[in-house]
Amino acid sequence: MADLTVDLGFRTLKNPVITASGTFGYGEEFLPFFDLDILGAIIMKGIFREPRPGNPPPRLVETPAGVLNSIGLAGPGSEKLQEIIRRLHTRTNTPIIVNVCGEDDREFAEVAAVFSAMDEVAMLELNISCPNIKKGGACPAQDADHTARLVRQVKKVVGKPLIVKLSPNTADIVEVAQAAQDAGADALSLVNTFLGLAVDLEKRKPVFANVYAGLSGPAVKPLALRLVREVCRRSYVPVIGMGGISSGRDVLDYILVGAAAVQIGTVNFYEPGAAVRIIGEIETEMDKLQIKNLSEIRGKLQT
Amino acid sequence: MQDERGLIEEAHSLGGDYFLLKIAAPRIAATAKPGNFVMVRVSPSRDPLLRRPLGLLESRPPYIWLYYQVLGHGTKLLSGLRPGDGLDILGPLGNTFPELPGKRVLLVAGGRGIVPLFHYARAYGEHRPLLLLYGGRRRADLPLLERIKTLCLQGLFIFSEDGSLGQMGLLTDGLEKIVREERVDATMSCGPEAMLARVALLLKSRGLENRASLEALMGCGFGACHSCVVLAADGSYRKVCDEGPVFPLEEIQWRT
Repeated sequence: MADLTVDLGFRTLKNPVITASGTFGYGEEFLPFFDLDILGAIIMKGIFREPRPGNPPPRLVETPAGVLNSIGLAGPGSEKLQEIIRRLHTRTNTPIIVNVCGEDDREFAEVAAVFSAMDEVAMLELNISCPNIKKGGACPAQDADHTARLVRQVKKVVGKPLIVKLSPNTADIVEVAQAAQDAGADALSLVNTFLGLAVDLEKRKPVFANVYAGLSGPAVKPLALRLVREVCRRSYVPVIGMGGISSGRDVLDYILVGAAAVQIGTVNFYEPGAAVRIIGEIETEMDKLQIKNLSEIRGKLQT
Repeated sequence: MQDERGLIEEAHSLGGDYFLLKIAAPRIAATAKPGNFVMVRVSPSRDPLLRRPLGLLESRPPYIWLYYQVLGHGTKLLSGLRPGDGLDILGPLGNTFPELPGKRVLLVAGGRGIVPLFHYARAYGEHRPLLLLYGGRRRADLPLLERIKTLCLQGLFIFSEDGSLGQMGLLTDGLEKIVREERVDATMSCGPEAMLARVALLLKSRGLENRASLEALMGCGFGACHSCVVLAADGSYRKVCDEGPVFPLEEIQWRT
């Protein structure tokens, strides 16, 4: 029987499958489909201090084997999310991770401190990479100095492990990753969505009000896998890989290039029970390939 | 809510772009109520990636009926399915139309907006006085008329824009007169946004209980992705999938 446990150094997970922020609601939406206890961890949809309406519709368009989204981090605000987390915690023992957002550095730190103080919260993920907040897709994770400053500031006010979520929409993601870990990030997660564009030919206008949007889904997997490999080669903290995962083999691909664990995202939309299937497939594949423990293949890509 | 493997029992082409599927989906059929919808995975491949939201025309265990118009890649693939084929269906999703026992209810259906209202009439028609106002561009856009005649209705009013069926004009041309003369207590509407906006305007301040079922592009169908929002009258966004698809007509900010 394959051993799926993952040791992040600061926390052990029962398996490498974590549900990605923004694709798993607040966990409760998936209670009708499966027992959340089977997951490695759950990441909540991104949260700001105050409630946010999100972007005007349309917010989602399909692309070949992918989706472009411009949800704009709609959410109920941090006070309401605390209630939701307390409720969710009574339904599952799986570690709950809060995806922390902010309009500015101060808000990031403030929101992080609030959730760091909650017993029900296992870790925090700092969302410095959402492309749907500012026009043009700008975010702190595009700049190594800003990333370092922000991570240092947040680390000062939190007691929980801090994962920093990186953007693929930057000239050098390795530089940003290094800045984040040097500033005290306990782990890195990558990648957030790829900036993309959809246009309405008839109206001669962009489809989305925010012009650019974030691409995710199976289409981005090779792009994301390369970036995860690049970051894993230079990082001394655990890396959580994501981008287009929809099968157990996809998960093992990420582990092979060096990821400690993974996040599954878009697949949750079209197959709400995907996590159950994927975890089952990891076990089957590992047995087939005679892998007893994920550490046997982690980072063992031969070139 | 279930993710059920349905089995296609019958697949009918109704002429033009319109199709009807009878699907054995016993678990969904057991709990589906008028107003609910389902998310259908039209292909096991990754293109298209997302499921398609479709209303339930009817639900009588162990079967559900889906009526749809081929509009794009996804519905085109759906139209290629044959009896014996399987189909992943997530449902029943969303809220429902209120039953309103004893009330005189007018159903206002524009084109394929007939779907949830047909379900309503089938489920509740025998227990209360129901009227149906049904309109479309032309005769070919109203292919369910023969089936509609099997419903228990106290009145049926048909409009087509080109006059090829029923009265010539938009169904909203006849709305006020029907509401007045038939002493209607409540309305339930489904159809194109422009039609719903017009219905909302015509029924404003008449003291009726009005509901509308909305259509939206959806990512998941069960509240997780927050992509199917509609602007409410109070300026907030509502998710069509799990806060709707049925809303009080007055709660939506209609674009006129």
